[in-house]
Order: sequence, then structure tokens, then C-alpha cells
Amino acid sequence: MAIEWNRRRFISAAATVVGAAAMAPALSACSGAPAQQTGANTESGLRAALPAYLPNTAIKPEIPGVAGGPDVLTDAGFLTYPANPIATVSGVPGRGGSYTAVTPLWGTVPSAGNSFYQAMNKALGVDLAVKPADGNNYNTIIPTMTAAKRLPDWIQLPAWWNPNFNLGGLAGTQLADLTPYLAGDKIKKYPNLAAIPTAAWRTGVWGDKLYGIPGFATGMPLAGIVYYRRDVLDAKGITADQVRSADDYMNLGKELTDAKRGVWAFDDVWTYLFPAWGVPFRWKVDNGKLVHKYETPEFLEALDWHYRLATAGYVHPDALAGDNANANPRFYAGKTLIQGGGAGNGAWNTADHESGTAATPGYRRGAFDIIAADGKSNPQLFLSNSTSILSYLNSNLKPEQIEELLAVANYLAAPYGSAEYTMVNFGVEGVHHTMVNGVPTATEDGKKNVEAKTYPFLASPPQVISNPGADVVTKDNAAWQAANAKAVYKPVFWNMNVALSQAMATAEAGQAVEDTIKDCYHGKKKVSDVQAAIAGWKSGGGDRLKQWMTDNVLQKYGTGQ
Amino acid sequence: MSTAVPRRAAAPSRRNWRFRLRRDRSLLLMTLPAVVLLIVFNYVPLSGLVTAFQEYDPLVGIRYSEWVGLDQFSRLFTDSLFWGSLKNTLYLSFVQLILFFPIPIALALLLNTVLSERLRNFIQSVVYLPHFFSWVLAVTIFQQMLGGAGALNQFLRSHDLGTWDVMTDPGTFALLVTSQAIWKEAGWGIIVFLAALAAINTEQYEAAAVDGAGRFRRMWHITLPGLRGVIMLMLVLRLGNALTVGFEQFLVQRDAVGHDAADVLDTFSFYYGIATGNYSYGAAAGLFKSVISLLLIWGANRLAHAFGEDGLYRK
Amino acid sequence: MTDVLTIQHKNGTTGVPKAPVRSRRRSARPAWEEPPTTVGQAAKGLTFAGVLAVVVVPLWIVVVTSLSTQGAINRAGGLVIWPDGLTLEAYSQMLADTTVRSALLVSFGITAVGTVVSMAVSVLCAYGLSRARSFGHRFLLALLVVTMFVSGGLIPTFLVVTGLGGYGQWWALILPSAVSVFNILVLRSFYSGTSADLIEAARLDGAGDWRILWSIVLPTSRAVTAVIALFYGVGYWNSFFNVMLYMPTDSEKWPLQYVLLTYVSRGNGMPGSLNSGFGTLQAQTAPLALQMAVVVLTLVPLLLVYPFMQKHFRTGVLTGAIKG
Repeated sequence: MAIEWNRRRFISAAATVVGAAAMAPALSACSGAPAQQTGANTESGLRAALPAYLPNTAIKPEIPGVAGGPDVLTDAGFLTYPANPIATVSGVPGRGGSYTAVTPLWGTVPSAGNSFYQAMNKALGVDLAVKPADGNNYNTIIPTMTAAKRLPDWIQLPAWWNPNFNLGGLAGTQLADLTPYLAGDKIKKYPNLAAIPTAAWRTGVWGDKLYGIPGFATGMPLAGIVYYRRDVLDAKGITADQVRSADDYMNLGKELTDAKRGVWAFDDVWTYLFPAWGVPFRWKVDNGKLVHKYETPEFLEALDWHYRLATAGYVHPDALAGDNANANPRFYAGKTLIQGGGAGNGAWNTADHESGTAATPGYRRGAFDIIAADGKSNPQLFLSNSTSILSYLNSNLKPEQIEELLAVANYLAAPYGSAEYTMVNFGVEGVHHTMVNGVPTATEDGKKNVEAKTYPFLASPPQVISNPGADVVTKDNAAWQAANAKAVYKPVFWNMNVALSQAMATAEAGQAVEDTIKDCYHGKKKVSDVQAAIAGWKSGGGDRLKQWMTDNVLQKYGTGQ
Repeated sequence: MSTAVPRRAAAPSRRNWRFRLRRDRSLLLMTLPAVVLLIVFNYVPLSGLVTAFQEYDPLVGIRYSEWVGLDQFSRLFTDSLFWGSLKNTLYLSFVQLILFFPIPIALALLLNTVLSERLRNFIQSVVYLPHFFSWVLAVTIFQQMLGGAGALNQFLRSHDLGTWDVMTDPGTFALLVTSQAIWKEAGWGIIVFLAALAAINTEQYEAAAVDGAGRFRRMWHITLPGLRGVIMLMLVLRLGNALTVGFEQFLVQRDAVGHDAADVLDTFSFYYGIATGNYSYGAAAGLFKSVISLLLIWGANRLAHAFGEDGLYRK
Repeated sequence: MTDVLTIQHKNGTTGVPKAPVRSRRRSARPAWEEPPTTVGQAAKGLTFAGVLAVVVVPLWIVVVTSLSTQGAINRAGGLVIWPDGLTLEAYSQMLADTTVRSALLVSFGITAVGTVVSMAVSVLCAYGLSRARSFGHRFLLALLVVTMFVSGGLIPTFLVVTGLGGYGQWWALILPSAVSVFNILVLRSFYSGTSADLIEAARLDGAGDWRILWSIVLPTSRAVTAVIALFYGVGYWNSFFNVMLYMPTDSEKWPLQYVLLTYVSRGNGMPGSLNSGFGTLQAQTAPLALQMAVVVLTLVPLLLVYPFMQKHFRTGVLTGAIKG
């Protein structure tokens, strides 16, 4: 009982926590109240702060990207790794400085000072101590660092935690302003950074100043799509283009579910399917007025459909019980045949293919096209922000130090297939990897020290699709992106960094409504219950949020289209 | 456990405080390290509690955050979700008190009657292991066994016996949760009682048996009184902690049964407090819980005194 | 309920003759015991069988899953109940890792030092508060109990420790949680039960409080001392939260539990897809075999230590069945 005590105490202590970036009066120097930064970026300010865009054309992919609407470009696909990686950076970027960098890592941490780190330091010309921290607990670790003002020289802060880390506030205080070094044509000094699409740079701009260095940028950022077991459905003669409406999905549910044999058609799909009803990401503009997604009738229709799906028994019971961790094993074992998953490389990758084939030989992941629920309107899916991976430099670095680190970032952002890219992602040939059939394959040393994603979190080139050893995945992914490139659109406030005050941020999160929504699509609550929750949300802060967004963002800064 | 006699003669305390101080100085010295540690690491950080009276904004810090007095509390007390979670907490606490609290005691007593030492040691060593599973693992195991697609239901389904959705039924949630707690914690809970049982002089049993007392009379008159002190201590602590029924266990199952049934005070503070950036709100809920818990433990202690027991501290 | 008679037993002098020595290790019943009824035996047997089953089955599942190939896990769709393909891969991966091995040493060090520190502080404090009417007794007790229910929160505590220079230091893993008031209360409860006559006698002989603690109270409360040492030891062995706060990036200094935690994170990928900003964050597949192997590795030391504790549950009186 004593041990549980301690753990409980920590957890309930966490529940009374005094905030992400607290400054207890007794122990830190509070020098005047910093101005609360709320608002967004102005058009002219953005234009001045954003870097120019100069795509890299040295290395040609087998499957070139396909343009969709404005600002939409599918990821390039590579079926082979370039045989002779060319160098894009001449000389050594660094000048011998000493720095520490912190990145999140979902996995085992390589030992400090290992051979890969040493080789990288030599190639970079700096003494860069990369110290990964546990990704699963990153959102507890970072607030303590910022509270004690102990940020390292270079830190990676995933954008999905911006509200938790209070990026808006940090930007003004602990993070370095990079506008003087990168805006407009100044970025030509760093050609690889200039090859990162402008839309991605937008996600690092706060208050008209540039702070973040983007990584893993993509021209077709989507939260997720609806996948299915292509091998199983092909065998039944069902193909993706036969599914064009919500009714088609429901029929699939009936046809594919066989509870007695332990097979259910669906896993959780709400998060990736609700856009099919035309529900916006969060806001919509109707006749110049802001409308929140909770207020749209399409939202309730989508909810009702999912409620019926769950109560009809077509959704796997473990999914209804909230077990997301085992969604993939269920999929691999064929216990579910349709699941929602991260788009692009998130779910469609070599590891997935290998796991799937180990469970069921002949496994093949497929994805349904973006649909419109009624089957007649134009299919639409909103884009997500161009990147969530941004790194920042510490504001107490001197200008020469910032320039040195930007040169290092330039090296790290070298395009796929270049010599630098090979070094960053695979290590030294012969030591950390060998070329097997033209594919860089990790050695034991490489597996321990290189496979953990450390440097790419600091800066990396735009994403490509490449799955050596599982080319079918590359082809499937690229084909899907190309087929659906025209069906995506930019939502209201796309890529805009809006710094909300605390009260507004809470209203935006709408936790109580989200919980009721989840209960509804798990079949436990009716749509009428959700409506009641929404009414409560509106009067409890939702309407005020809408007004605030209208006054402070929509009127002043537009919709970010 | 309660046979200690007050030290010395009962001299009037006021007049002799200097005397008592001198007499007890070694005792006070002994408490010093613990007290110093607690002051430094528990009392000094208490300054964080002021945020419950503010509209705390981490951007601005405690010193400059706006003071709102009791606003957070009035918001709290008009929030139906708060009352819902409080109700759940008390209900679950009550169920656990009735169903869970006696089990480690009963198990310890039962285990004590096992003759073979090897068997007893084996059972002891095995039965406490689930304590070390995380709640995530524990619930996953329960889901695998009792979930909609789990072993039990697959069996029922294949014999056309319908299904038993115990893992997602909010109506039986209290029983489910208590069963989980029993499975996970009862084994660990017997340890303290075993230590207490070991301290009972067995000659008393022999003497009682010789006098003609049967099995149950011996238990009633010797064993249970021997355990009384520890049981009372545990009971008082449990009552004082009526508002704490768990956190991780409920967080993990929130989605399965719906948040109406699964939200308890700690998950409420977490979800509608920090997780949404509503720090002051969460702090207010936490402060409320702390104050009530202190009242509860004081009350439980008085109750113990009324039963002639020491409880937490003597009068 | 110790008394003079028991103490004499412990010092080797004899009191009432016990059952023949050979019965110490055998299942002999003391002479004054009634023979058990069949119903009673059956009920007892059934209860224990049930209890064991309910505990052993999940343990079995955890062990089997830890030894399963990834293919077997994927075929089973999660936890594996019937062995379908076995491998020692998960264990060899973990044990071959030098970080794990150095973390093992770190954990031993922290557990050993932490337990000693905590026990010393707790035993002293518990005894110091165990004599009723001692000076300041109720005030100090209240001081302790309040901390069980009231807390300043995560960040303020963090700032205090950091302010004292604890960031990255090992003492930050020990001192802030060295005191468990619950444990002190349990110790105190046992100590205050020590017979007053005994203490009175010792005092007449001129013994001070330190002497009494050392020579009388401690020897007669071995069981509870062992139990609380176990509680503290396990607490330190399993702790990881303070590591996360005070040395999140110094991997050379991590204790075992934290390193194992990162094993569980491996393969998790980033929550959701690269650009998730809303909705449920779906965790990627975590290598289940590794997770289960981690659980097993956590249990093994406990399985080894606990039998040593068990012998302290006999205070020198009749071993074997203590019938009630």
C-alpha cells in the first residue's frame, strides 16, 4: 500500500499541478510581467518573415510528386536508393562549437558518445551532444525544463503540444528569433533549408517572427485515412473504388462481420471518416460568419451514422472499449478488416508490412479513397498543418552560434539519397550499414545507434515515400496520394499559429463535449446527449470563443487560405 | 497494540512543559530528520496552492496572475461534472470499503491456517505479484478475459449463450472496478496483516484451547483483538482517503464505460484541469479534495476514539 | 502483543516446551488443535485454488507473451494465451544492452542507499512519536498526516529541488520521497504496542530512549521492520517519475525501471500520424513481447527477495501453523 501511495500522490499531485510554465515566486526571478501574446500573424508580416522556396532538383525520384490544388503536392516516391549519393554540402558546416540538443524519442536511447555520434560530430564539425528524452513523457519533461529555464541550445518541440508548452509565450522569451537569418532571400545561404516548402515554415512563425525549423514537411499533410485489408477484400472481390458512400461502408460492415469467427469489419474509424460528411476540421466560414463544427448539422449526421455502426455490432468490442494500443495487432491478425490510421508513412511503411506478413502471409494494406458520405457530392478532406515537427534554438545563443547551428541544420536537411542524408540516416558505410542489393541495411552497430531517430528531428528534408524491400507499399501509397490529390482542401486557419489565452484554449479543447462524442460513436450515448453537451459548451465558453476568434483572428488576419 | 501506559505520572502538562521537553528531547531529536525532509519537500512547495484562488496563467506566473478569490470554487460547485465525479468517488469508496477492505484480512487469516509452511510461502509469494502490474496491463488482461471479444465471450458465443458485456457496462462498473482492485491489491495488502499476526503470542491459543475454546472462539478472542490496532489504523486511513479511489485505473477505462460512470475526483481534476490548460480549476478541485480529506481523517480518528481505539493518534 | 515470556524465548531460554523439533518443517498440527473438518478443508482448498488460478493465469499469459515471436503475437491479435512460437529474442535484446546492465547497477545503488536512508529516518521518527504524551507529539503527528493529503503540486516541488541544486543529482531521486508517512504510521503502530512494563524496567536500569529503541523495540518488531523495508525497497526499485523530472536526458545515470520504460516506447512511433493535430492519438504497435519481458524482469527480483522477508514473519515462537 505504501508504494501505491507514492505513485498516487504523484499522480494526484500532477492533477493539482500549477501549470506548464509556472514560475513559483520564491524561486525564480520574476522580472515584470511579459505581455500576453495572443493573436496570429499578419499577412504582410508573414510575407516578410517567410523564407523563399527553392526546390532541390539534383536527385530525381522514380515516382514524382503530383500537384493537387494550390499548395498541394504529393510526396515523391523512390523505389531504389541512389547508387552514388551526391554531396549537397561542400566542406564542413560547423566551426568547432559545443552544443546540446534535446529531442523526443519513442524507443531505446542510444548510449552517449557512441561511434555514430562521434562520426556525425566529425562530419558536422561541431561537438553536438544529442540527448534524446522519452517521447511518451515528453509533455511532462518539457514544462519542467521551461519552468526552470533550462532549455538546451537546440530543442525539438512537436507542434501538437504547442498549447501544453505554450509555444506562443516561449517564442517571445526562451526561443531565438530566426527572422534575421532566414527571411526572404537570406535563406539562400542554406540551400537545403530553402527546399522545404513555405507552408511548412509558416507553422514556425509566431507574432510575425520566424522561430521554428521544420522537419518531415510534406506537401499533402493529412491526419489519417481509412485503411482496409486489401488482401482479404480483394479475395472477396471488393475493391476500393466500389466504396463511394457511407451506405457502402455500412453494407461492408454487414458483409464482413462474423462475430462467431472473431472477425469484425471495423475498428475505430470516427477520427478519419467524419470529414466525409463535410464536417470541417474545426471552423467553417458561412456568409462571412464563423461556424464551429459542433454547430453544423453535418456533424450530427456523421455522429448518428457512427452510432448506428457501433450499435449494429460491426465494430470490434475492444475498439469500443477504448483499446487503441492493440488496433494494429487486431488488423494484422484479421480480427478487424477496416481501420482508421495515420496517413502516409504513419501507417503505410515497411515495419507495418513486415508485421502484417508475419501474422498473415499475403498481407497487403489498402486504403479507401476519400468519399462524400452521400455518394454524390465532391469528396473532400481537409489538410492538416504542413508539419508538426519543429525545432527551435535557444534565445541566449550568440549570433555566430545561431549561424553555426543553421549551417548544421542545412546539412541535416539534405535531400533524400544525398551523401549527407545517407550519413544522417544510415551512418558510415561499412560501420553502421552495408549496401545489400542497393539498399542500405543496418549492421548491429547501426541498429543500436543509428536507427533511433535523433538528428532528423532537428531538421530533415521534405518527406518522400520509400520502403526498400517492400516496394508494393511505396507504389500503393504513391498511387493513393495521386488519386486523391484533388480531393483535399485547405481548412479555415490553415497553418496559422493562433496564441489563445487560457480560458479560450480550454473552450477550444471542449473536453466535455469530446468525451460525450466518444461515448456516442462507441454506441453508449445518443446523438441527443451530444447535442445537450454542445449546448452546455456553447454557453460555457464556446460562444465566447467564436466571438473572440471572429474579432481577433478572422477580421484581422483572414482565413489563412 | 493499545496497552501502552502513558509515560510517567500524569503531571499537569502546562506547568511541566519544560520538564517534558527535557525528558523527551531524544524523542524529538529522533523525529527531526523526517520533519526536516517533509518541511523542505512538502511544505515549502505548498505555495503552489495559491493558484486555486487565481486565474493562473503560466505565461505570466503566479505573482502576476489575476486574483479571483473564490471564483474557481463557485465554478466548481456549479459544475455538474464535478458533482458527478464526486458522487462516483464516494460511491466507489463505499463499495470498496465493504467489499475490498475485509478481503486482505480474511485472506491473511485463512493463509495462517495452512499447515504446510512451503505451501503457505508459495501462496504468499505468488498472490502479491499482480500488485506490480501496471493498471494498463491489468485492464488489458481483464479485457482479454472478459471483454467483448475475450475468452469468456468467445466461449459463450460459440455455444450461442449470448454475450456478457461486463467491461463496457456502466451499471456494473463499481463491481467490476472493485473486483479488479481485489485481484490486483488484495495479495499485497495481506503483508501488513501477516506481520501483525506474527506478533501474536501463540501460547495464548494453546491456553485457550486447553480451556475449551473452539476454532472460531479463539479467532474471535485472540487473533482479531491482536490485529485490532493495525485494522483500526488501516480503517482510519482508508476513511480519510475516501476521496481517493484511484486514477490510472479509471483513466484507462474511461472510454470503455463512458465518462459518466468512470470519472472520479482525480480524473476530473486531470481531465478538466491540467489536460485542458485549466490549471486553476484543477488546483481548486485538488484543494477541495485535500481539505475534505483532512476533515475526514480527523473525523475517522474521533470515531476510532469513540470505539475505544487509538486510531491514528491518542487523545 | 509481545511480552516478557516471548522475549525470554528469543534469548534462548526455554519456557513452555514446544512440540518436537521435527514438526518444525512438517505439516504436523499442534496437540491442542482440533482436526480439520472435510468441509472446512474442501472450502479452504477451493478458495486457495481459485485465488491462485486468478493470479497465475495472467502471470502465465504475461510470461508466454514475453517468450512469443512477433508473428505469434500478431496471429493472436494481442496477448498470447497458448504458446504459438517461442523465442528468447525479447530477453536477449534487453540483457545484451549495456545500458540495461549499467542501469541495473544504478538501480541497486539507489535502492540500497534509499532504503537505508528511508528506514533510518522512518524508524527514528516512528519511535519518536510512539510514546503518548511526549512533548509535541500530537503537533508533529498532525504535521506528518497533513502531508498525506495536501500537496503543492508537481512544478513547485520540482522548483524547490532544482533550487537546491538537485537537477541531475542522484539525491533528487532519494530525498524528496524518502519519507512515507504511511510507513511511519505503521511502524509507530507496532512500536507503541511494545509492552510498557518492559520499557519501564529498562528505564529503571538507566537506559535512555536510544538504548530502548535499539535493544528492546527493534528486536521485538522484526516482522514489521522487514515489511516496511520491503515497501521502501520496492518503491525505490520501481521509481521512475523523479528520473523523468530531474535527469530526463542523462541516459548514463538512468536506473533500470526508466530504461525499461523506453523499451516499451520503442516502435511506438509518434502519436498519430506526422501531422495529427486533432482526434484520438493512436499509438503505433508497441512490441508486446518486449513489454511483457519488461514486466517479467520487474517481477523477478521481487520473487527472489520476498522469500527472505518471509522468515521474519516468525518471531521465534512456534513455527508452523498459527491457528486461529
